[in-house]
Amino acid sequence: MIVIGEKINGTRKQVAHAIQVRDADFIRDLAMRQYENGATYLDVNAGTLPQHEPEDMAWLVEIVQEAAPEAITCLDSANDKALRAGILKTAKTPMLNSLSGEQFRIDTVLPLAREFKTELIVLPLDDSGIPRTSDGRMDIVRRLVTLTREAGLPDEKLFIDPLVMAIATGTENGNITLETCRSIRAEFPAAHLTCGLSNISFGMPLRGVLNQAFMALLIQAGMDSVIINPDDRELRGIMMAAETLLGRDRHCMNFNRAFRAGKIGPKPTS
Amino acid sequence: MQELVNAVAEMMEEQAAALTKKYLAEGVAPLEILNAYKEALAIVGKRFEEGSYFVPELILAGEMMKHAAELIKPHMGDGKGASGAKKVGKFLLGTVEGDIHDIGKDMVHMLMEINGFEVRDLGVDVPAKRFCDEYRDFQPDIVGLSGLLTLSYDSMKAVVDGLKEIGVRDKVKVIIGGGQVDERACKYVEADAWVTDAVAGLKCALQWIEH
Repeated sequence: MIVIGEKINGTRKQVAHAIQVRDADFIRDLAMRQYENGATYLDVNAGTLPQHEPEDMAWLVEIVQEAAPEAITCLDSANDKALRAGILKTAKTPMLNSLSGEQFRIDTVLPLAREFKTELIVLPLDDSGIPRTSDGRMDIVRRLVTLTREAGLPDEKLFIDPLVMAIATGTENGNITLETCRSIRAEFPAAHLTCGLSNISFGMPLRGVLNQAFMALLIQAGMDSVIINPDDRELRGIMMAAETLLGRDRHCMNFNRAFRAGKIGPKPTS
Repeated sequence: MQELVNAVAEMMEEQAAALTKKYLAEGVAPLEILNAYKEALAIVGKRFEEGSYFVPELILAGEMMKHAAELIKPHMGDGKGASGAKKVGKFLLGTVEGDIHDIGKDMVHMLMEINGFEVRDLGVDVPAKRFCDEYRDFQPDIVGLSGLLTLSYDSMKAVVDGLKEIGVRDKVKVIIGGGQVDERACKYVEADAWVTDAVAGLKCALQWIEH
């Protein structure tokens, strides 16, 4: 599984504070820990007021890159000025989060992806909202993949998000996501599938348990990347177990090595 | 009537509907039945705040209320509508331009209506100008702006600026809501209040209307 670490997000209080007072150590620590815990990509969302966002994004990218030089940044903003400010600071080509069917994103984010040949998260929603059916989401995915292909981006650079909506607000929301996963996997086999899975448990008790169960189901439906808190030990255990059980772990070596390294299972008591 | 209050508060959907039908058949005043629902919903809201009820319970309670309103409608006889009695205030609501999140907004819509507000819901991705046009037409007491993106703050500010331009800012309360809003966003937008969940929004609106 390709893990995108979600923790450097300015909509979280502590991160917002760190950005405000330019606490580089706090951000550096978040970056390092997530990378050490298996995140290949680190999401960077300044989450600040629009006029500060480009400057804040550039500051964050610089620190994250220095703290975890092997990690790839995933620049997360709806503001193309902030995205560009981030791109200009990166040494490794970043991922952009995200393109959707909304016209302003097609007009602003897609040209950036084309110009810098970035990887791109693709969301199947548009100016009329999030389709409530898998078919509706697939229509948007097809339209967007046509556009990214025209822009010269190979499907391998796409991380398509089937969109996860709260199970609390719709009993079918889990099934809709899983069905969309399977359709994307079948129609665009070269593209990656990713999602922010914790949305599923919004408004519910025992969110961790729901997230873990959904993780296993998503992997079975073809998900090969997730946007999560990489420091979540239990979720990591479930993720690795599901991959092993689905035959994606030759001789179960990933699972067993992770166990020996103390990365999964009960925390060593010392 | 306590039996109905309990049925709704305990999420007994079928029992609540059956009791409502039974009371209506016995000639109980529709308003009395609606008051039982209101009382039950207050309990549901309280449990939500305390952390024993969650979003599904709020939604199911809203659905029970909607179903009851349909059952009661034919018994109301006049043009007052099923939610009965007079409205406590007018609430103009929408998710601001550039944002399409609707869960929170829809929940606010439902809770406000249940608690006697006349609600005009403009939907999602609503431009500032539309809020101002609708303000003129609807004359709300409160404007509720929903948004979950940081870009939404600019859109919210544009609505407040629009209300200033048409000279009504001091006549109307503005509340902003969304998972990420905070005091800083509220100051930036120049709103009167900020909340991060629908129940808190309802509380705030009721307080304004009482004073």
